[in-house]
Amino acid sequence: MYYVKETDLVIIGAGAAGTMAAIYAHRQDPKQRVVVLDKSKMETSGAAGRGMDALNTMAVPPKSQPEDVVEMLTKITEGVLDQRVAYVFGQRCMQVIKDLEEFMGRGPGDLFPVDENGDYQMFYLHPVNKPLLLPMDGEEMKRALAKQVRLTGAQVYDRTPVIKIVASEGRVAGVLAYNIRNGDYFYFKTKAVCLTTGAAGRMGLASSGYLAGTYEFPGCTGDGYAMAYEAGAELVNMECFQANTLLKDHQGPSCGYVAAPRGAYTVNPWGEKTWSHGYSSGDSKMGVWKRYAQGRGPLYLKMDHLPEEMIQIIEKIQWGNERTSRGMFHQNRGQNYRDGNVVELGFAEEIGVCGGHSSSGVLSDSKGASNVGGLYVAGDVDGGLPQSYLGGALAMGGIIGEEAAKYAGGNKYAPQPRALKAWLRKAADAFEAPLRRDKGLPTNLVEYKARTRVQYYLKPPKNPAFMEQAAWWMQRIRQEDLPQIKAHDFHDLLKVREIESILTVGEMMARASLYRDESRWGYQHWRVDMPYKKPKWERAWAVVKKGEQGMEVHRRKAPKHKWDFPDAMEYAYPDLEFDVGTPFKKGRNWKNPKRDPWMKKHLDDQGMATPRRFLGEE
Amino acid sequence: MDHLNGGPISEDAFQWLEFNPKRCNRCGDCIDMCPMDVLYFGSHGFPYMRYRDDCWYYDICVFVCPRQAVTMTDLPYLIR
Repeated sequence: MYYVKETDLVIIGAGAAGTMAAIYAHRQDPKQRVVVLDKSKMETSGAAGRGMDALNTMAVPPKSQPEDVVEMLTKITEGVLDQRVAYVFGQRCMQVIKDLEEFMGRGPGDLFPVDENGDYQMFYLHPVNKPLLLPMDGEEMKRALAKQVRLTGAQVYDRTPVIKIVASEGRVAGVLAYNIRNGDYFYFKTKAVCLTTGAAGRMGLASSGYLAGTYEFPGCTGDGYAMAYEAGAELVNMECFQANTLLKDHQGPSCGYVAAPRGAYTVNPWGEKTWSHGYSSGDSKMGVWKRYAQGRGPLYLKMDHLPEEMIQIIEKIQWGNERTSRGMFHQNRGQNYRDGNVVELGFAEEIGVCGGHSSSGVLSDSKGASNVGGLYVAGDVDGGLPQSYLGGALAMGGIIGEEAAKYAGGNKYAPQPRALKAWLRKAADAFEAPLRRDKGLPTNLVEYKARTRVQYYLKPPKNPAFMEQAAWWMQRIRQEDLPQIKAHDFHDLLKVREIESILTVGEMMARASLYRDESRWGYQHWRVDMPYKKPKWERAWAVVKKGEQGMEVHRRKAPKHKWDFPDAMEYAYPDLEFDVGTPFKKGRNWKNPKRDPWMKKHLDDQGMATPRRFLGEE
Repeated sequence: MDHLNGGPISEDAFQWLEFNPKRCNRCGDCIDMCPMDVLYFGSHGFPYMRYRDDCWYYDICVFVCPRQAVTMTDLPYLIR
């Protein structure tokens, strides 16, 4: 069936950011008609579908202020950001806390723990002298957000991924979508779009070879990046790759934000510690890469020095909110947090891009507005607010809901395709071509090929030969393989759309990496042919945009900084050296004293206070 | 990859979710809530992992089941 519908605002992706956008659009203007489209199921979709254990990079007075968020993000992005966006996010943090407490019916001290003074309990983790990590018991968060969206009266279409954002005269005009279970097609004529589709997290294929074995939610295939690009949006920091230290093969967090603030750390096979601070920065990733490159891997997450009650807390979080299968995974491999047979980690096994974990996405301002009229972005697809994780998605999600509702209320529809119903049928017909082929390439084989090429050629360290070859592969698979794909059904047809997104994002990653002719953000954009920063790139973006001749990249200075915070983190890592010393002893005697002199020295050097509690000093 | 032809798998292929027919009342909550659209009713009337290789092994199906009929008995072969 084919449906042409009129609405005022379409939200694409009902994750944390999208649900908040729907709620705040309704609060802003209840008269605006809101449609919510999700490729999966709103109640369980997205990176936080199972739950979440903390909000990261949060300004929570009196312990931290919006300026602290700006300082943190200025350092971690090495100055390449719009500080105004970071400040707006910082100002919005308390509203996020109050909203979640209201939606989940859980007051202070329940959803978010409080200290003896009644203030929210915070962790120090970030490279500032204020605590910005807010722990949370958020297993039911996504269900609560979804319930609020349904209460607004928004029309929610589950299992309805978007194929295309239609733009005309520099504005959004409509959204083309289909249902993966019954093959119904929809065209939503709309004035505004909130794009909240998550990361491009299904990019480089991890060595396990399992296609859905991703760190990010596997539905996050970069569709928003690709659709925004096709609609004329500008994207930034596509060369600042996401590269994580993860639980080997399971691809769960390692976990820098759960275990590290509670006293865990990483060791090599010799039992030597490998991180000198707790925050996952480009510098720290470079440190980890060097360990592997010099043959001093694998790394392990070490927790056997922690008290039993702390291990149980970590297990509860890691095996519950994250993925319960994690407990089964450890048991299957004979891993126990309490003994020396600890958890093996892998590094940079799945190269991708993400606005929340890294800095890549659609360029947006402090209202979440892109350069396309009526197109607003938030969450992991948003490149305007870097590295703000779930807290940033919730905060900016609310902001773009308000702003998009205002825009829809103050603007008419952009010019539409002629003869809409016929246009819709024709677009659906073209989209369904892989279904009509008698035989062809299986979707999973083509995805496997694309993602192995992404991982092999795009994984840093970078050089122009690898990046050019990556772009060549993305184009070749698009031109030669996509026209030969055979899809079995409407579910399988979605894979074709997702592979197209992977190819578009992969090419953006390659071209932006070629264009930024310097190195920055440690491992994340490390060009071995130019292993240094250049002044022309200070506080400047590489902006990717669709041009008349194809993909174009240009340089643009970020807005002038209001706050004069340092543009870099000041950590030193050991140089590469290949003398691995004596072999480690069987049995791995890694017992460490509770008052750990190594940790104390580094805490003193770095001025981070919280882990001191684990040293028995507070 | 352990399934090279794309599309749905056969009902008797290796799967890591078990649906207890004595407990399952075929309410379809697990099918409805699976974010990756993995589960469908099979010919025997109970859910099975029709799109097995889209599973993110995060047990939404297990915790939404009102009758504790779903068990994750294994992990995806390639990651176990």
